[in-house]
Amino acid sequence: MSAAVSVRGLRMTYGTAEVLRGVDLEIRRGEIFTLLGPNGAGKTTTIEILEGFRNRSAGEVSVLGSDPEKGSDAWRARLGIVLQNWRDHNKWGVREIVAHLGEFYDDARDPDDLLAAVGLTGQAGQQVGRLSGGQRRRLDVALGIVGRPELLFLDEPTTGFDPEARQEFHLLLNRLASDDGMTVLLTTHDLVEAEKLAHRTAILAGGRITACGTPAELARAVQAPSRVRWLEDGREQAVTTDDPSRAAWELHERFGGPVPGLEIRRPSLEESYLELIGRAA
Amino acid sequence: MNGRALRIGIKRGWAEHLQLLRNRRELITTLIGTAGLFALLLLWIGDEQVKGTTVSSGMFMTTGFLAFTVFSNALMTLPMALAADREEGTLLRLRTVPGGIPAYLVGRAVTLLCQIAVQSALILATGVAVGGAPLPHDWPALLWVLLLGTVAVVPLGAAIGCLLPGPKTAGAVLGLPMMGLMVTSGVMLPVTYMPEAVQWIAQAFPLYWQGLGLRAAFLPDAMLAAEIGGSWRLPYVAAALAAWAVIGMLLAPVLVRRVTRRESGSRLAERQLTAQAS
Repeated sequence: MSAAVSVRGLRMTYGTAEVLRGVDLEIRRGEIFTLLGPNGAGKTTTIEILEGFRNRSAGEVSVLGSDPEKGSDAWRARLGIVLQNWRDHNKWGVREIVAHLGEFYDDARDPDDLLAAVGLTGQAGQQVGRLSGGQRRRLDVALGIVGRPELLFLDEPTTGFDPEARQEFHLLLNRLASDDGMTVLLTTHDLVEAEKLAHRTAILAGGRITACGTPAELARAVQAPSRVRWLEDGREQAVTTDDPSRAAWELHERFGGPVPGLEIRRPSLEESYLELIGRAA
Repeated sequence: MNGRALRIGIKRGWAEHLQLLRNRRELITTLIGTAGLFALLLLWIGDEQVKGTTVSSGMFMTTGFLAFTVFSNALMTLPMALAADREEGTLLRLRTVPGGIPAYLVGRAVTLLCQIAVQSALILATGVAVGGAPLPHDWPALLWVLLLGTVAVVPLGAAIGCLLPGPKTAGAVLGLPMMGLMVTSGVMLPVTYMPEAVQWIAQAFPLYWQGLGLRAAFLPDAMLAAEIGGSWRLPYVAAALAAWAVIGMLLAPVLVRRVTRRESGSRLAERQLTAQAS
């Protein structure tokens, strides 16, 4: 089966500013994929190009087998989109807007089942404008998946959530993805979120994909050098190395026994990530 | 546009119309803002006569307010609604849905026509009940003037709505010219009360012609003493309104397409930030 999303050499230039400088991506069907990167790295630009909302400067892009710039209504019906800043349809009822947007699709989800799935059954009759921030975002997800999309885009879906709401949101996404075999692409600037949620993650920094893979692969790929410290001649010595085990062994050889004050520090994934995006910027 | 988009659009427009009717504050504003103010005005000066004629100012103002209702809904309410829909992301939401933009446009048109119909009925009922306005003697003229007058301004309003940066600016930008046209276009005061230069300017805009056409449908020929050239000039009414309709229909699709194609999440975010900052 072909990939859900395939991107080769994607470039985007605004005036003289080069936001994307050759992005390559391959997202498989049925996986939860996160695009991770600091603010301003070009995540939203990338996702908007994939959604067909923005025309690219150069490169090849295929989303569900179509070029998004030439996407038909039939193609659009296979996508679901959840954005960051929606405050729309505030005067509509919650169930009313779910049912209304469902009408645009041939095989829409039942509004009541959908509201139950996102935990908004109790708010079905309420006005959209009266929902809390978390409820509103869950409604946005419901509206994103009402047409049973094959591919769901989520742009920074948990910004502004408290930890509990975030946890619930992750469970909801996992359930939806595993039940329906839906492919999910979400952007985030939060490494922990990417690690928890995604099958695979790509790090976008400085307009390029600097690392891509499963959480374990990513950890290896981005691993920043470790620091080995010890005491010698009454002074603290240190080396920075990609192979701390070898450095420690060599020290033991040289000392012919225990090394005083030996300390090996491996940076956490988060520190590695920060160093990586620092290098790319 | 396919049948589905048309059907969903009509349902959507009707749903939004019902939301307006259910919204108590909106309803009170409409009732007091149109019928209430109008009734007070009628009680205050409705018994006077338009200078040089035997027509009461109550009758005269009924036709004027009718014309202004169509005009202000199309050129003020509609652009503000479009600007608000852009700022809140409604337009973008419909863009994510297959066939969403045509359905959205149909929906907006339906809501607008419903509002115009409700407010026109209110004005007419108040005019007849309080102002002693007659029922129209020329129904065909009433119908074609109302229809052509609506078609003359709705696409124009859509075009203006696409050019405005946001709903707050919309009120500020549109409010003053609307008031100016209301005073000078012969819907509050007979246009012949105005200096000749103002008369010429007024005749460039569709509000004057719509008012004139409606007066032709409602008022006796005694009113002609206070009209330019002493004539209803119905062929000119038709020509002027049709010309504005053509201008609007040429502009609106281009601008609407441009605005809906440009709509994206990051632009929405930018606009909301600007709106918060201002």
